[in-house]
Amino acid sequence: MGRRISAYGLTFSLPMLIWQLLFFVFPLVFLIALSFWTVRNFRMQPDFDTVNWTTMYGRAIFWQAYGTTLALAAGAAVLTSLLAFPVAYAISFKLSDRARRWAIMLMVIPFFTSYLVRIYSWQVFLSDAGIINVMLGWIGLGPYGLLNTPGATLLGFVTLAFPLVVLLQLFSLIFIDRTLIEAAHNMRCGRLRTVFAVVIPSARVGLVIAALFAFILSFGDFVSPIYLGGGDPTTLSILITDTTKSGQQWPRAAVIALTMIVTLMAVAFLSIRFAYRGRK
Amino acid sequence: MTQDPLVSFEGVAKRFGTYTAVQKMDLDIRQGEFLALMGSSGCGKTTTLRMLAGLEAPSEGIIRLSGKPINDLPSWSRDTPMVWQSLALFPFLSVIENVEFALKMRGMGRAERRARAEQWLDRMQIAEFADRNISQLSGGQRQRVALARSLVVEPQILLLDEPLSALDAALKVRMQSVLKQLQRETGITFVYVTHSQSEAFSMADRVVIMSRGRIEQIGTPQEIYRTPRTRFVADFLGSSNIFPGTLQADAQGRAAIATDSGTFLLDGQHGAAGQAASLTVLDTRMQVHEQRPAPGVNAVEARMIGEEFTGATATLYFETPRGQEIRVQKSHEDLADLSVAMGRSFHLSWSPADSHLVHE
Repeated sequence: MGRRISAYGLTFSLPMLIWQLLFFVFPLVFLIALSFWTVRNFRMQPDFDTVNWTTMYGRAIFWQAYGTTLALAAGAAVLTSLLAFPVAYAISFKLSDRARRWAIMLMVIPFFTSYLVRIYSWQVFLSDAGIINVMLGWIGLGPYGLLNTPGATLLGFVTLAFPLVVLLQLFSLIFIDRTLIEAAHNMRCGRLRTVFAVVIPSARVGLVIAALFAFILSFGDFVSPIYLGGGDPTTLSILITDTTKSGQQWPRAAVIALTMIVTLMAVAFLSIRFAYRGRK
Repeated sequence: MTQDPLVSFEGVAKRFGTYTAVQKMDLDIRQGEFLALMGSSGCGKTTTLRMLAGLEAPSEGIIRLSGKPINDLPSWSRDTPMVWQSLALFPFLSVIENVEFALKMRGMGRAERRARAEQWLDRMQIAEFADRNISQLSGGQRQRVALARSLVVEPQILLLDEPLSALDAALKVRMQSVLKQLQRETGITFVYVTHSQSEAFSMADRVVIMSRGRIEQIGTPQEIYRTPRTRFVADFLGSSNIFPGTLQADAQGRAAIATDSGTFLLDGQHGAAGQAASLTVLDTRMQVHEQRPAPGVNAVEARMIGEEFTGATATLYFETPRGQEIRVQKSHEDLADLSVAMGRSFHLSWSPADSHLVHE
């Protein structure tokens, strides 16, 4: 009996296991190995040398890029969460069931278009001769250098993460027990105060996970920093491409990639621990 | 009771789209009473309570609290704390934080509200759980937290929406006495919504019976139990035998009612002959005889079709030749002299004084 159940369970979990092994564990192991290889005459050769690690970790540019990426991704997570919350709140509490279904569908539509296209269209808005500066020109302002700024990069990150964050927040807000909100009102807790005293604590896990996704998406993004941020200041993703381009330094790129993976894992672990804190 | 009512509903109605949950209702709730709103689901009792708490806006009419109309007052500006069926305790707060919540919202300082909350936890005998999570408490303990949370503000009125329905039978009975005692000690007006007759009758000073958005009867438990005023109430309580019929006068000019099972005498005058009405007789007021009883009482012959022993009493079921079912409740001593047997015919009697009349 026990054997049959485990065979049954295995049938369904095996594809997942194979997938994880093929596309996560093996590449990761390879990446780790790669980070110890050496490059001679623009050729990589298997080796066990810590030179890539000491070189990368010894460079100021690496730590600068690390700080920039961390700050931008964290900023994007906070900004996207703040912008998305009123939208998710309105969809889950103010709309009729019918209107809510439409709103959810509208939030899915951005995933239909390529992220790259959406970023390019921001260029049309932000460039010196772009729509925003032209319109500001009509009232005698500008032009302002909007493109190639950290702000523009952040805007790209928000574009990337916003629909997903709204959806994730939405699904945690929808499942809040409405009687908790009524109970708060019943105890002299006004509308806005209820949002902070009841809605946000009730949806905490979902809200933190939504912010975590915004962080993850932004942390590894290459498109927005290069096309909207102009590659300056450099992020880790840009640093990886630069490293591979200059002298076939794939092993050093692997060092950056591994550092990013470890950072993401740490951030994910800490935020999930924070999300579930005090819960039993 | 010349005192002004604490709450009055004046022609209050509530419609949800085309559905009418509460039809033009007038109801006074007295200061310091324990009032039960009773009825089956969908009768409008919960909607009535929610309108009082400001969680639903009446479609029509005025609700007054201490004489002042409160229709336009949002829920958070009323002092009408409520205990939910689900209790609605905040799972992300500890027990004591839950109890402090309402005080915090009133801007009370930290030390003072903690002291007040502790006092109430103590009173509800759950002080030892102050720092626990809600999920670590049993059903009965949660109940006490919910009560403490609502009572900590020392309100004039407390609304309770079927708060005991999730508890097991023994705990339910214990919480009933806790609630009744609390109400007596604090003098707070309790408005208690329930579908359970035993809860309403054991705790309430007055019971309001509702059906399809209308009040069927208001009275003390005794009044309602002894003299259900409408056919619905008699049916709902299930403690009376109901004989539908037509009013008439018998040969001597005494008031009587002609039913399928015979013509029965009534006590006093009850309206014009020819009018449709139903006779109700409490199942505890019926006598069972083996011989035909002497004239002067109402009697009907019926065959015994079932019996049920429920603790101290037995419930016997009979059927008249015309197919009317009659229920009789007797103590075991009362039945000792009878040779009770299934299928046997008996004579069932009751005095005209125990005959009540209800109109449809």
